[in-house]
Amino acid sequence: MEQDEWILNELQKVFERTNDYNHRVLIKATQDMLKEQQRRIYQMENEMEGTIWSPRRWGE
Amino acid sequence: MRTLLIVSHPDIIESYSQQYFLNSIKDVEEVTVRHLETIYPNGNINPTEEQRLLKEHDRIIFQFPFYWYSSPPLLKHWQDVVLEEGVTHGPSSTMLKGKEFGLVLMIGVSEREYQAGGSEHFTISELTKPFQALAHKTGMEYLPSLDIFQFAYMEDEQKMDMLIRYWQKLTMENGESLTVRERWLVNKLERSFLQIHESDDQNVIRHAIHILEENQMTIHDLKMVLDQIQHP
Repeated sequence: MEQDEWILNELQKVFERTNDYNHRVLIKATQDMLKEQQRRIYQMENEMEGTIWSPRRWGE
Repeated sequence: MRTLLIVSHPDIIESYSQQYFLNSIKDVEEVTVRHLETIYPNGNINPTEEQRLLKEHDRIIFQFPFYWYSSPPLLKHWQDVVLEEGVTHGPSSTMLKGKEFGLVLMIGVSEREYQAGGSEHFTISELTKPFQALAHKTGMEYLPSLDIFQFAYMEDEQKMDMLIRYWQKLTMENGESLTVRERWLVNKLERSFLQIHESDDQNVIRHAIHILEENQMTIHDLKMVLDQIQHP
């Protein structure tokens, strides 16, 4: 998580110092993609926890 | 993959939205841009040349402002003279078969009006049926259209997001999954930043690519584990 925050900030610095519009667009897309991946990982980890602790599995 | 982008707009210099999108792809090698009104100011389309270009490309995209639920007249004329039974399609020709076909539409009315009960009453998918039929008839795979509603009213960030979707429509393999989009983005980052510039920024981009790929592997592994737990 800390690594993600760090890279998002570093990308923001590159975003702010570049004058190339297409590069800015790509940097924003990278930040958005990193956030989307993090959300997906978080959701999947929660889903896994929920499945493991499901009462349906207690009888196994 | 090579993409042929056929643009039709009678007054393209004055169109802010067309300029915004077209300017962004000037250096994209795999996209061939053809603005019909510039190439054929008198409307005398050269079918042989157009057919040659169709043959050379894998994905064909029509880009135009959505006028009265259809294209500007020159693009309709292009279809009339270029798509020729026996040459581009039909039992004896497979020129277009297996290629991909899609639309990029600039639409002046808001998205919510394109539905039953809205002022336009029909959806874009319903109104673009003739183009879907064209793809079907010529053996091309119809891609989901990129509908750009009220571009002039978009905030800067929305415009940037739309530009990414535009580039994806032109150069990304068909599919919206996270894996497909991540692979496309990494490729684009490598080509845009790592080959041309030599700066500190490169290290940041390299690092970002590394994390993107690492995250994708984590997602893949989690998916495998979840599959095993849910379907032992």
